[in-house]
Amino acid sequence: MAFWFYRGLRRGIVTTRYPRGRPDAWTADLPTPPAFHSSRLTDGLARGLAEACPAGALLVENDELVVDLGRCTGCGRCAELGGDAVERSGEFELATAERARLIKRVPIAGARR
Amino acid sequence: MDDGTFTDGVDRVAEELARRTAMFGRSLHIRTVDTGSCAVCESEIRLMAAPHYDLHRLGFFFTPAPRHADLLLVTGPAVRAADTLLLKAIDATPDPKVVIAVGACALGGIYQEDELIHGSVDRVVRVDVSVPGCPPSPLALLQGLLVAVGRLQERAQAITLDLDAETNR
Repeated sequence: MAFWFYRGLRRGIVTTRYPRGRPDAWTADLPTPPAFHSSRLTDGLARGLAEACPAGALLVENDELVVDLGRCTGCGRCAELGGDAVERSGEFELATAERARLIKRVPIAGARR
Repeated sequence: MDDGTFTDGVDRVAEELARRTAMFGRSLHIRTVDTGSCAVCESEIRLMAAPHYDLHRLGFFFTPAPRHADLLLVTGPAVRAADTLLLKAIDATPDPKVVIAVGACALGGIYQEDELIHGSVDRVVRVDVSVPGCPPSPLALLQGLLVAVGRLQERAQAITLDLDAETNR
């Protein structure tokens, strides 16, 4: 006990920072918001995704899919429904001082049908 | 950790650290406020104190009273029945204070506004930092805390959800 106390006094406290370099490998398994291949997004698909989102995080506005990362629960229903147009983004470090920065716009650039 | 290669340069680091933390700058105390969450956010907040994440190494500590807190972690969809406790907690926290909205409910997801629920925390109080996630993992919460005290740059602006745009660049 005394050893660690004096060691601490002698050397000060040395700790690591918030994850140095890359976060741990297991963070790949975290539920994360979706990312989209805009060239594969069609209007119909985007509307279907918006309807399937239980958290109300997706919205179709003109030619854009508006994604509110703040509302997203990472449930993955859109990734299930969207086939090869939707993937998991793997982004979890999303904290922000500006709420508006969490609202992302993805162009719906897929073929018109 | 025994003496060995690990201790190389430790004295220098310790000196630098002592200088930097002379005033205990940017170390602060946290109070959680639950406005009707399902308690999974609380579970993740508690996990920040576990050895794997160890928020104490970063100078953050939990405190049971808002009077001793510098920072409030607000979870849940701002249930109207919790208005009084939320406003009292905010009032009791001395200035300067930071309010962090934690989780998708607190940011307006899942629950719509109705006669029971405000639907998001920022309809009731000013929110300084938003931490999305359902629940946000302890790592995401740690990042949120560090962003809130200005020790880490936020990444939200840089993130694009359009994979095709990324590959074109």
